[in-house]
Amino acid sequence: MTLSTQEHNPRELYYPEMAEITAIKQYTELEKWYEITLPGGRDLEHQPGQFAIFSLFGIGEAAISICSAPSKKGAFDICVRKVGMLTEKLHQLEIGQKIGVRGPFGTGFPVADFKGKDILIIGGGIGIVPLRSLINHVIDNRDDFGRLVILYGAKNPQELLFPDELQKWNDDPRIEYQVTVDQGSPEWQGNTGVITTLIPGLDLDLDNTIAAIVGPPIMYKFVLMALKSKRLPDENIYMSLERRMKCGVGKCGHCQINDSYVCLDGPVYHFPDIKNLPEAI
Amino acid sequence: MKRYNLLLQNIPDFVKHLQAQGEVLAPHTKGDNSFSFDKVTDANNVILDYNRTLQSIRKFFLPPTERLLNYSLTENTFTKVEIENNQRIFLGVHSYDMQAVLKLDFNFSDRTPEVNYLKRRENCTFIGVSFEPDDFHFSRSVGITVEATEGFDIFLNRHENGYEVQVLTERGEGIIKGFNALENAPELAETNRQFKNKIKFNHNRLPEVMEQSWKSPVWDEVAKRCVGCGTCNLVCPTCYCFNVVDNVDLSLKDGSRDRHWDGCMLNSFAAVAGGENFRETLASRQRHRIYRKFKYITDKTGDPWCVGCGRCAAYCTADISIVEIINQLSDEFEQNYLRKSAAPAEQII
Repeated sequence: MTLSTQEHNPRELYYPEMAEITAIKQYTELEKWYEITLPGGRDLEHQPGQFAIFSLFGIGEAAISICSAPSKKGAFDICVRKVGMLTEKLHQLEIGQKIGVRGPFGTGFPVADFKGKDILIIGGGIGIVPLRSLINHVIDNRDDFGRLVILYGAKNPQELLFPDELQKWNDDPRIEYQVTVDQGSPEWQGNTGVITTLIPGLDLDLDNTIAAIVGPPIMYKFVLMALKSKRLPDENIYMSLERRMKCGVGKCGHCQINDSYVCLDGPVYHFPDIKNLPEAI
Repeated sequence: MKRYNLLLQNIPDFVKHLQAQGEVLAPHTKGDNSFSFDKVTDANNVILDYNRTLQSIRKFFLPPTERLLNYSLTENTFTKVEIENNQRIFLGVHSYDMQAVLKLDFNFSDRTPEVNYLKRRENCTFIGVSFEPDDFHFSRSVGITVEATEGFDIFLNRHENGYEVQVLTERGEGIIKGFNALENAPELAETNRQFKNKIKFNHNRLPEVMEQSWKSPVWDEVAKRCVGCGTCNLVCPTCYCFNVVDNVDLSLKDGSRDRHWDGCMLNSFAAVAGGENFRETLASRQRHRIYRKFKYITDKTGDPWCVGCGRCAAYCTADISIVEIINQLSDEFEQNYLRKSAAPAEQII
């Protein structure tokens, strides 16, 4: 039996679009921020929380989350930790050089459903990167949402990302921003301790608060426990998960959590949908 | 359905008739006791009586290595790769391997249809052949009989002097047209091909067994013997996971982005940059492999995603049998979750 491909309308899934690096900032020894511009300044048309697959010829591909909000027009941002082959090479690139882009892929935060709600952002380490797309979306559509509470934790003050923006979050009267580091330094005046130490003191309108959590695997369990003791309903919790990815379109199998493909069903998950997936966290 | 008889001595002529209409791919001997599906160059070398080929015909639709694109490092540009979809006739396919192709058709058209696979599936004709189940086949336990014709255009059912030819589709009729060395269809006695290897429960109960097996000690037991080599993935006709790798020419000017078969049994399969490995233990990887065949896709489609070819067990370097694993899980399920007074588990066949 032959197959008529027309009925399936198959697509070319693996060809990248060549985009240009139009701005770079080095935040830490390991992390750099890039502005990426697609041909003709076309918008990526992503949702906060989605990712794309970036490639450099001769090196390979890697899935990286978008850290700008859709309200940024003509270009988008990524923030990349130098941790693997592709990111190592990416860190050597300069403004004007080109990089392959496929996407956007996966689910984003359902921001339309968040309208009118208080938004509680909980970001650990590099987890603040995908959350920045949601934070900026809320900031750029500020009257659509209630309170914006940002909890950010890092290992030490040197590893804090988006330093210029952290100051703005801190100074903005409509943002309740708290930051903590696991280990302080002589100059550090702020909180020390893990991110969960910031949760008990929060005064939350439980029925009207959405929590968005992104961080290292170890963080989720403790943050979820802390939110549970605050009695925040599971239905109000969203989280984004990381997995190995090779295709971004639900074929290569690498990102599977039980029967869920992180590249299609995630990376942003509604907590009730994954709390019974034993491999999730 | 039209039926004919094909005598053994006419098979080479039948192969030549097929060769006049397209590329013919059929089983050949490989080494002393293996078989391989390859392009036919000499009609006399085609083997229709065989237990199983080392690889299923999956390799023609999802090649072990496939070039996704070519690039120039000096220009930082790429060129697309043409996907060939010439007329191909697959001769001598067993029912379980045909079923595996139909399952892959689902996987590659589900949610995000992929042109690479689906284009290769165009212009294919399948001629099935019956087989005698050996110690490893257990297709009947996953709902596939030796004579299952779904997906085939023509089916050849072995009898003493040759093959009963069943012409199943218009495409099959077109293929057989003009071949005159066919006799009237034989009167065949009921075939009674028995499978020695059996899953204890009817396959429609296995998702229920899997539901209760997440924490089973069986996974750790299997992991003690498993060496994590990934052979079971490599030979499975319904495995389709892949890795994507950039390869650079020695000139350092050009290269290609290629995809290779990958296997969820390999240690690095779920590892990410930075050191996290989301399926670190062999036990968790074995469980994932078995759940991929009997739970995850099965929950969505209602069908087991294993076709009972027996390859994973036949070629396992540590003699691990998927049937044994399923039966041990079923035993546990029976002991722990079925009341002793309940009727005995339904046996198949």
